Amino acid sequence: MTGSRPARLGALLACLLALAFGLAQAVQLDSRVFEIARQLRCPVCTSESVADSSVELAQQMRQIIKDQLEAGRSEREILAYFQQRYGDWILLDPPKRGIHLVVWVLAGAAVVVGAGALAVVGRRWVGRSRQPIAVDPADLERVRAELQGLETDPDAPEAGLR
Amino acid sequence: MKRQGLLLTVLAVALLGGLFAYGLLRGEPDRDIPTALKGKPAPAFELPVHEHYVNQFGETLSLEELEGRPLVVNFWASWCAPCYDEAPVLQAYWERYEDTGVVFVGVQTQDRGKRAEGRAFIDLFGLSFPNVVDDDSAVSVDWGLFGVPETFFVSRDGVVLDKHVGPVTPQVLDAQLAALLR
Amino acid sequence: MQLELGVVGSAAAFLAFAVALYGAVAGVLGASRRDPRLVTSARLSAVAGFLVATVAIVVMESALLTDDFSVSYVAQHSRISSPVWVKVVTLWAALEGSILLWAWLLSGYTALVAAVAALSPLRPWAIAVMQGVQTFFFFVLAFLANPFKVLPNPPLDGPGPNELLQNHWMMAVHPVLMYLGFVGLTVPFAYAMAALITRRPGAEWMVLTRRWTLAGWGFLSAAIVAGGWWSYEVLGWGGYWAWDPVENVSLMPWLTATAFVHSVQVQERRHMLKPWNVALILTTFALSVLGTFLTRSGVVSSVHAFGSGPVGPAFLAFFVIVVLVSFGLLAARWEDVKDRAELDSLVSREGAMLGVNVLFLALAFAVLLGTLFPLVVEAISGDRVTVGPPFFDQVTLPIWMLVLLLMGIGPLLPWRKAEEQSLRSNLAWMLAGLVVAGGLAWALGVRKLYPALTVGLAGYNVVSLGLLLAGALVPRMRLAKRPALQVLRSYAHENRRRVGSMVVHFAVVVIAVGVAFSAGYRVDEQVRLDIGGSAEFEGYTLTATELFVDPTAARVSAGVLVEVRSGDRFVTTLRPRINVFPGSNRGIPTPAVLYRPSHDLYLSLNSNVAPGTTFVVLRVVKSPLVTWIWVGGALLALGTAYALGGSTRRVAARVSVPAAAAREA
Repeated sequence: MTGSRPARLGALLACLLALAFGLAQAVQLDSRVFEIARQLRCPVCTSESVADSSVELAQQMRQIIKDQLEAGRSEREILAYFQQRYGDWILLDPPKRGIHLVVWVLAGAAVVVGAGALAVVGRRWVGRSRQPIAVDPADLERVRAELQGLETDPDAPEAGLR
Repeated sequence: MKRQGLLLTVLAVALLGGLFAYGLLRGEPDRDIPTALKGKPAPAFELPVHEHYVNQFGETLSLEELEGRPLVVNFWASWCAPCYDEAPVLQAYWERYEDTGVVFVGVQTQDRGKRAEGRAFIDLFGLSFPNVVDDDSAVSVDWGLFGVPETFFVSRDGVVLDKHVGPVTPQVLDAQLAALLR
Repeated sequence: MQLELGVVGSAAAFLAFAVALYGAVAGVLGASRRDPRLVTSARLSAVAGFLVATVAIVVMESALLTDDFSVSYVAQHSRISSPVWVKVVTLWAALEGSILLWAWLLSGYTALVAAVAALSPLRPWAIAVMQGVQTFFFFVLAFLANPFKVLPNPPLDGPGPNELLQNHWMMAVHPVLMYLGFVGLTVPFAYAMAALITRRPGAEWMVLTRRWTLAGWGFLSAAIVAGGWWSYEVLGWGGYWAWDPVENVSLMPWLTATAFVHSVQVQERRHMLKPWNVALILTTFALSVLGTFLTRSGVVSSVHAFGSGPVGPAFLAFFVIVVLVSFGLLAARWEDVKDRAELDSLVSREGAMLGVNVLFLALAFAVLLGTLFPLVVEAISGDRVTVGPPFFDQVTLPIWMLVLLLMGIGPLLPWRKAEEQSLRSNLAWMLAGLVVAGGLAWALGVRKLYPALTVGLAGYNVVSLGLLLAGALVPRMRLAKRPALQVLRSYAHENRRRVGSMVVHFAVVVIAVGVAFSAGYRVDEQVRLDIGGSAEFEGYTLTATELFVDPTAARVSAGVLVEVRSGDRFVTTLRPRINVFPGSNRGIPTPAVLYRPSHDLYLSLNSNVAPGTTFVVLRVVKSPLVTWIWVGGALLALGTAYALGGSTRRVAARVSVPAAAAREA
């Protein structure tokens, strides 16, 4: 339920604390019900699945799932039943079409880009180690001269070696 | 590299900052969430009627009985605070529009076993349009409810035209009823 | 004249703000002008700031414990009849108090850095940055969300904190751990900023902050696992992670921090990846600021959020400033930071570390994308979409598998370039481990892909750890001619980082197996039990023997005694119940859990319990191997603590270690 913020927060809290006060139905639900319920979003507590939510609407939805399972419907048919009434939104794993496709495309693109970047960067860095570092010939000469100086003059200060 | 990096940073921050500013500012508007039922026939129901209306409508009221008339179907519950805000508005509009052929139907839902509280709610606001009881919330699910209050607008042909989530306001009712009666 | 606690508290908050502001300014001026007096003054102010903040904490706790309802926070969130521990934790149970806790911990870390951190040109800047962050938090505390406001007409009693936060002792632990983690990661951020400002972006700062980073990471890891366990014990649906936005924002900095902990080793050894490391730590801090923003602004709806108020825009502004300044500075100093990265081969320890980074960054991106996507869509088109657990699971699970794969081979790869012969033989052993473990699982009935694959990768990783240990110990045993245990002890003592990381990696494997099986093979049912009646569930016989009511000063519990039998053997009596706290008429269903190594039996009440109730409806869940997650989490914390004991310097004693042993180090 939308409305003022206190009301919305109240609803969120209710989602955490709701219980079937009053006459609880004698509902025996087996694990198949929960497996299907886990794929449906609770319409009231939208961050929980129908399996986890304890609000009345979710309980009713679980009852409906149970009745339909007993009537022989398949998981797909039951999910479609709720999809007809609530839209793609009710499925926690909505079909990858329309707006829902975008997030998957982005995720996939990120993988491709990341892998590509790693390949490019990796190749460049490995290549770099094979190239000798370009050194100014004048610097090389200087080093050679100083080293020679050290070999001939043992008393020269060791500053260069530090 | 420096220039690019700086530009990239500023751009990223601007985008993110804008996004979050939007998030802060939008608050919680009562938006008309598109319903999956839009344009489809309203799901049938037959529900027991609150005692106030038994004389007029019998023990149960079904959608079939109301065929051919535009409908305003309002879902409420006794624990729902905004429902208390919208009930007087609905009653006022019912009194105005009763003779135009529109039928207002209130459905008490997600309120298992709370018929007495429902009666108290009706008494409190003196609601004179029919109210029925959806004890096990099955009709709620059929109509794709996300919570209460939600109000559906059904055409004469029994097709759901629109849905309003949250308490109805005079502006909403003006617009929707105009569309219904067209 | 009686001084109101509220006045003292407000004064303390304001003073803390002033001191932090002074410290930041003095630190910046002193560091840029190289004025030792100002620098010392800033250091002292860090310590002073901590003392002032402590006064604020003490004042609040006193107000809570003495039921002083003239203090607005106490009036809004505390209650006379709450037990003492609840009053203590009420400090962080709501928005304003949580900011106070965060700010206090931050001031504590800053004081600690000021007191014990090694002298370096970076230190004054780092302290200044931390005091800058403190300035923000104390500003919010003192001016926007002051919990110390004095109420002229104090109420006689208050509502008490949110019932869910009173229901479990973990409330005393998880938030503190979480903040210790987030705040701890401020230290490497501050040093990174200092390095950028002083144009000394070398490895210096990473070495200096290694311990702080690891400690912060350790606290964050522990907090995330503890949070999962808390959800498990309290929320009633037998789960521990829901990919809720607030959970996600605590995970994201952890992911980038994990990447950082690994790539910083490449920095230490090979002196490369500097820009990457700096960017990583800046991102980690930015993500933690983003986390506090999202949790306190109401922008995303979550059952964990604190709600909103004037605080939201302030945190958004802070986030924008932090990202602009830190990344802007990085861009401006890019020439100083960039280094020449070169690899001898991708098949090496460096390559593996790079791989780790890519994988964890991919995970962080996926989580960020999923968390923000609904907001983006709403901003653009107004549509409401939600991204639920299936998206996160489907996208992240393959990446987790790759992480496990890399975790096994990475530590075995030498630096620079792997030698083909030993690599091949190691891989052969590890793949054998994978096949054997996976095959064994398959043979024992594990048919689902991810659990089987996880078991296989667990075997692979165990073999890898064995090879690591053997490679380290066998040469030592041969050369020192001492028994294995002694060698192990001295090795463990000398190589705390290495051994610590082995323990942590092993813990990750344990957690992975626990998650895979508890998610993949969980069985939920809802059963109705008449009082005195029984039901069968997964090999157990559950008998509801009687109702009970258990009133204590803190709360009233009403529940049902359920005897659990396995076959004929009595196992235990579980007491799922509903807790009602004073000040509220809402009951909190509180589950009862039977912990066993192989699986948990989890019972939660789904119906009301009142005198005269003849039956109960229970939600029963069997989760295999769920305990392994908590055990793994504890192991991870222990491993981290052990690694922290090691020295950052290459110990001189290494010289005496025989060459053969040195080769694999």
